[in-house]
Amino acid sequence: MLTLKRTLVVSASLLMVLALLAGCAAPTPEVVEKVVEKVVTQVVKETVEVEVEKVVTATPLAGPQQGGTLVVGLAAEIMTLDPADHRERTTETVIRNMFDGLVTRTTDGRVVLELAESATLVDDTTWEFVLKEGVTFHNGEALTAEDVKFTFDRIISENGIDYPDPHTSPRKGLVSPLESVEIVDDYTVRLHLSAPWPVAMQMFVHQQILPKDYFEEVGNEGFIKAPVGCGPFKFVEGSLGDQIVVERFDDYYGGADELPPVGPPLLDRVIFKVLPEASTRVAALRAGEVNIIQQVPSHMIPLLATDPNVRVVSGPSTRPTWMEMNVNKPPFDDARVRLAMNYAVDADTIVETVLGGLGIVIPGSLSPYNNFADTTLKPYGYDPDKALELLAEAGWTDSDGDGFLDKDGEKLAFVVDVRPSDKTNAEAVAGQLQELGIDATVRVWGDYNVLRPLLLDGERTAFVGGWGDSAFDPVGHFEAKWHSLVEGTGNGRGNFSGYNNPRVDELIEAGEVEPDVEKRHELYDEAQQIVYAEVPAVFLFLPDTIEASTANVQNWTVSADGRLNLHDVWLTQ
Amino acid sequence: MRAVKVLERLLATIPIMLGVAIVVFLFMRLTPGDPVDIMMGEAGYVSEGEIENLRREFNLDKPLHVQLYLFLAGVIRGDLGNSYTKHAPVSELIAERLPATLELALGALIFGLVVAMPIGIVSAVKQYSVVDRVSMAGAFLGISMPAFWLGIILMLLFSVRLQWLPVAGRIDYDASLQAVTGLHVLDSILTGNKAALISSLRHLALPSVSLGAAMAATVARILRSSMLEVLRQDYVTLARAKGLVEFLVVTKHALRNALIPTVTVVGLQVGVLLGGNMIVETVFGWPGLGRLVVQAIFSRDFPLVQGAVMVYAFTFVMANLIVDVLYTYLNPKITL
Repeated sequence: MLTLKRTLVVSASLLMVLALLAGCAAPTPEVVEKVVEKVVTQVVKETVEVEVEKVVTATPLAGPQQGGTLVVGLAAEIMTLDPADHRERTTETVIRNMFDGLVTRTTDGRVVLELAESATLVDDTTWEFVLKEGVTFHNGEALTAEDVKFTFDRIISENGIDYPDPHTSPRKGLVSPLESVEIVDDYTVRLHLSAPWPVAMQMFVHQQILPKDYFEEVGNEGFIKAPVGCGPFKFVEGSLGDQIVVERFDDYYGGADELPPVGPPLLDRVIFKVLPEASTRVAALRAGEVNIIQQVPSHMIPLLATDPNVRVVSGPSTRPTWMEMNVNKPPFDDARVRLAMNYAVDADTIVETVLGGLGIVIPGSLSPYNNFADTTLKPYGYDPDKALELLAEAGWTDSDGDGFLDKDGEKLAFVVDVRPSDKTNAEAVAGQLQELGIDATVRVWGDYNVLRPLLLDGERTAFVGGWGDSAFDPVGHFEAKWHSLVEGTGNGRGNFSGYNNPRVDELIEAGEVEPDVEKRHELYDEAQQIVYAEVPAVFLFLPDTIEASTANVQNWTVSADGRLNLHDVWLTQ
Repeated sequence: MRAVKVLERLLATIPIMLGVAIVVFLFMRLTPGDPVDIMMGEAGYVSEGEIENLRREFNLDKPLHVQLYLFLAGVIRGDLGNSYTKHAPVSELIAERLPATLELALGALIFGLVVAMPIGIVSAVKQYSVVDRVSMAGAFLGISMPAFWLGIILMLLFSVRLQWLPVAGRIDYDASLQAVTGLHVLDSILTGNKAALISSLRHLALPSVSLGAAMAATVARILRSSMLEVLRQDYVTLARAKGLVEFLVVTKHALRNALIPTVTVVGLQVGVLLGGNMIVETVFGWPGLGRLVVQAIFSRDFPLVQGAVMVYAFTFVMANLIVDVLYTYLNPKITL
């Protein structure tokens, strides 16, 4: 009896000790902070250097090696394996490794031919694609014009998708000017548009080709459970919430000619594992359980940098970040106050400290990497005196000597709304404004989808956040952010400042259908200049996308559009 | 008699489930945020009428009472509708995820009981001893530690530093386990796959401990106090006076009665386990129902949230029914 009791006692105490040990293993928060700050600058230099080196010298010491299993830690769940039935980036990343499109994009955002041998703009509203011959799907079926027509018809026709209930593809809006697809011969298709569409090629990147015969044979439901594409990897097994396993497709035609190496993929197998929690992804990478992780929070870089088996890679993202100000509500209904905010915030310092240098300050409404960014615009720059001068002009001075600016007995105070992901950025902005006597406080909203309708209804005052668009074209940004809100359309879907300028609306609408590149530049330059001058936002910065891999992953780099093209990647043993 | 009572109780769950269905339906609609708008993602590129079409497709253009009627009519037919975001039947999505959640909850429950029972008993028998004090301090710690924090600490210690256990997932890819029930541990035993059994137990260990720690602490404390009460009762003194071995006095006479409040707490803890699941599943990349629901709530996937919450409610009601049935075995004087 006694021994049993003793065993129980011993095991119980052991457990307690273990729990205490685990508690001790975590350093005090104070220490952590200090370590982080010290290492950040070092890391920045290192990662940037590594990346540049990789881009320039495309051939590392050892040549491409075949074989191995690569595991990717995805930050979000996969929605579906039907390329036409979602609007989600992670889902597209996975699908894109099994399916190819007519065209694809390089890591720096250039559109290159993939399944297409050539693409010609026959007239303003007709694109002609000639397909590569000898391309086969994973089931051996040959790719022809029929498959291309089938794919696009499914996206654009009403109720084109019939599982689980007949419905229209949520990707229809991505190709809304596309009216019909005409088969010229077995390997030639013409895509007819309702109006000139300058972003066509950028948008065709997002449509992947399906095998018509196989699809019709197994049906929609059967296809999702066993998808067949003509991409570098073929589906093996998996479930959407857990992991998707794909294997090398030996008969792969090689992919885009401009993305070497051309030929079958080098990896034997890829496993996409869903790991929504960032600390888990980082832990799994450090434990060697996964090889590539996406969305690394910048505060975890110092930790990863100390690990010799891990490489952190970063590159410009497609999400410019601003502080949008409600132009219809005091104090920001006065353009002088909005301009003053641009002088009052030191974006350079925020990039250096909060982002650890991983980002660039932006001068206006578009990312500098956008194909139509007006390069003549320069950031307003940090000038606190000018800010105070402008505020005084607008009537805001510290008349009662309490350290805060006031006007008619009212303090210059407002709340900056923010999502948890941008919390630190907003706090940095608010802190800088506080120093100038502007009482800006931050409110973090756990659920963005509660905040968003309030922002759109003009009920809030200021919002710090980014807006993503991977097409490198102004349409996605200007239509959503700086066009006045039109319910039920893409216009103004993200217009949180309530900005409304009829001339800008006109320019945006003209820019969307202007086929001539020069003229488009003129239209968007004017629009950018107006927005720059009317300052509906504090133009802050473009943060980098940060990803990490184990050291044995080769020929891989961050894609600006967040995609992971694993066809060209290999592992050193 | 017991069977009839159980059947009665089962029938009584029908109105409960109906109530839950209506409440969840209304709460989801009262939450700000438009599912269609969220679904279209951030970028522009929305064609004219596209949003209206989707709204029509999801019946969101109909008045609230019509939507509720359509939903309830579906529920009665056993049709929980289709997920907005995943474009698949809700019942299918839940069936795919439920086994993972049940396996984790059972793992946590077993861990919790295995740890709590001996600690609770020993602490009561050796009241105010060093063991008692250390155990209760530990229990206090266990209750105070948030599951996600404990999970990350355990992960850093056992997976990253010591590399004993995997960080995330349910089973190794190459374990080639044949699915029978969906519970990996059980399936491994049923199919006699030793490699899969080891792999799934290794994956189950840390999430179970993280999820079960708080429950273990609560149960240990409750068991200790009810044991203390029972040990002071006359019939225990009598048992000792009869010269019964102390071990038997404690396990056979005292424990059985002390278990009644403990079982009650365990039943209630099932609710806590299901709730905590959402966090632990996210931390450990565990492909269960909890994570699915969290995601569904954020994307306002109404049918999926409704379906999943009803499953949770049903599980909770069932757990408490089992507790009630257990009472009658522990103390024959109690009837259902």
